[in-house]
Amino acid sequence: MTELLQNLLLGLLLGGVYALAASGLTLIFGVMRVINIAHGAYLILASFITYWLWDSFGIDPLLAIVITTPIVFALGWVTYKVVVSPIRTAPMASTVLLTFGLALVVEGAMGEIWGNNSTAIRPSYADESFIMGGLFLPKAQVYGGLIAVVVLVLLWGVLTKTWLGRAIRAAATNPSSAELVGIKVSAVAALVFALGIAAAGAGGAITGVLYPFVPGSHYQWIARLLAIVVLGGLGSLNGAVLGAIMFGLAETLTSAYVSPSWATAVPYAIVFLVLLIRPQGLLGTRLREDAVAA
Amino acid sequence: MSHVSLRRAWTAMALTGVLALGLAACGGDDSEGGEGDSSAPIRIGSSLPLTGEFSQPGQAAKQGYEVWQKMVNDAGGLLGRDVELVIKDDASNQNTVVSDFNALIGQDKVDLLLGTFSSLLNLPASAVAEKNQMLYVEPAGGSPDMFNRGFKYLFFTQQATADKQGKVFAEWVAALPEDQRPKTAAYPTLDDPFAAPNVAGIQEVLEAAGIETVYQETYAIDTKNFDTIVNAMKNADPDVVVHGAQFEDGIGLTRSMLKAGFAPDMFYETNAPSFGAQYSDGVGAENTEGVLYAVSHSPEADTPGNAEFVAKYQEMFGTDEVPEDAADGFAAAQVMQAAVEAVGSIDDQGALADWLRENEVDTILGSLSWDETGAPTGEFLIGQWQNGKPEVVLPADVSTADIEIGWKPGASG
Repeated sequence: MTELLQNLLLGLLLGGVYALAASGLTLIFGVMRVINIAHGAYLILASFITYWLWDSFGIDPLLAIVITTPIVFALGWVTYKVVVSPIRTAPMASTVLLTFGLALVVEGAMGEIWGNNSTAIRPSYADESFIMGGLFLPKAQVYGGLIAVVVLVLLWGVLTKTWLGRAIRAAATNPSSAELVGIKVSAVAALVFALGIAAAGAGGAITGVLYPFVPGSHYQWIARLLAIVVLGGLGSLNGAVLGAIMFGLAETLTSAYVSPSWATAVPYAIVFLVLLIRPQGLLGTRLREDAVAA
Repeated sequence: MSHVSLRRAWTAMALTGVLALGLAACGGDDSEGGEGDSSAPIRIGSSLPLTGEFSQPGQAAKQGYEVWQKMVNDAGGLLGRDVELVIKDDASNQNTVVSDFNALIGQDKVDLLLGTFSSLLNLPASAVAEKNQMLYVEPAGGSPDMFNRGFKYLFFTQQATADKQGKVFAEWVAALPEDQRPKTAAYPTLDDPFAAPNVAGIQEVLEAAGIETVYQETYAIDTKNFDTIVNAMKNADPDVVVHGAQFEDGIGLTRSMLKAGFAPDMFYETNAPSFGAQYSDGVGAENTEGVLYAVSHSPEADTPGNAEFVAKYQEMFGTDEVPEDAADGFAAAQVMQAAVEAVGSIDDQGALADWLRENEVDTILGSLSWDETGAPTGEFLIGQWQNGKPEVVLPADVSTADIEIGWKPGASG
């Protein structure tokens, strides 16, 4: 029983970090219908910026989120204006290709700046745990999970309780009508893209503390994050959180009770099964055009 | 298709044809050197994982190749010709490494090849070389699967194949007095053609010595979170953990062991601990005390040319620390150089391979020789982290320090 509880807790902590990293990806898709393949690259970029702040100035890597996130937000805004904006309304395949190219450029830039050797952020608590009974809760995971919850609640608050959030949801639901009531959809899109990248930035600051990384680590992240948002339902923030927690639990429980060699495969099998039953994902909405296509 | 786009398509095809003819004409005079030009540089091609999962060894191997190039050119070149390196980045990807080696042979027309890093990448890359009947001397790629394919041009230039790399360590453990010998062992292993046979070779010896296996699992290469694996190992409570790792997973699993407060009496890990400062930065210098690993090179070793290699490396890259993988790269190039100089030509690569099969070569790793398959027939060194720095502890006749029993995280730094 203790072992099961231990594995459930480890899975939930893992899922919390996945949720934060995936939230921006689903937000960007929800409003802009852009599948941002460069999302993982921005996550790793945030890890490197966090490393730089920690290594050069001694700033605690998790507290550094308040610096990292605005930097990555600004990078996201510039990226949107320079690269994404010209093809925002192009077919989805174009945006996939573009953001894949963007991911390669960001990877190359990180390699030039920080080198291609493995980097680890190890604050004093990195390898310590809270011990409760027979259970251990890694401190970095607990702090990271708590920060993920705070950031996700803030994001949810912005989307549901503010005028900006209403504008974002209006632009996502019906861009033409949103323009008619005075919402500048292109400005909202820029803001959403930057917000989505900033969420990846917060996630990257946390994952940088949890796992060593190289510029090429973004491939592993984008594969997981895409699976999570597809499982939850593309465009659904709540779906991304649910998908992330399911993914984290599936990885952990498979590793513990089936075999570690299946731990990275079983979650994808679950995604496959869910999509067979609910093609729109767990909390996704099936649109009229989807029904026509089906 | 409209008339306009049809016309554009024909124009594009015509332009492509003209370009292709032009390129063919340029290539026809062989102005970049090659077999016909005895004064042009000898071009040596490789594709290394300079980015991606295996970028640590890839970057280090590139440095090793560059040190060799500098030393050879300073000494008058190879067969009196300067050496030029053509190195591509395969991004740790099996498909890319195949494309790269095909391009090196077919387009770049390199004269000789040097291998890449990791068995995972050398498996397909060596097949390209074999198909083109070119000598393939590899600095890494010790999986037994490399050598059961009947290849004639493949040579691995470390001391032993992966399944025998931990043999010296395993035999030392098996020979420990009863009261010091571990009773139980755990074997977490990366699903990798190098790591898995490495661990299997050690497990075979330890089980034969009566050491019970209480945990044995393989994990996928994209595993990032090791907490569950460590939790299961902790519950199995082994006396010794033998971890088959590359680099990042070696760091990840060790950090998870620290977080779980799990410190077995003895900890052996493949690959990662041989990365010097990168390893100690990754797990924390204070947590390295007593970690054991197999290693092919020691900067202090009294092998032919080793002192010169170490000095040149430090001069070129401005660091006191010499990565093992840079030394492996240098040794691979030494082996290729020995064959070329002995045969006196690069035209018949079959003759180069035949010479290597029949001769020993002195390298900075020691004297190397090979069996019919190109597998080396020597023994590895065993390293151990002591007082925050790596030492060679086995075999006793070449050791720089006595081996210590026990992993003591938090003890040094």
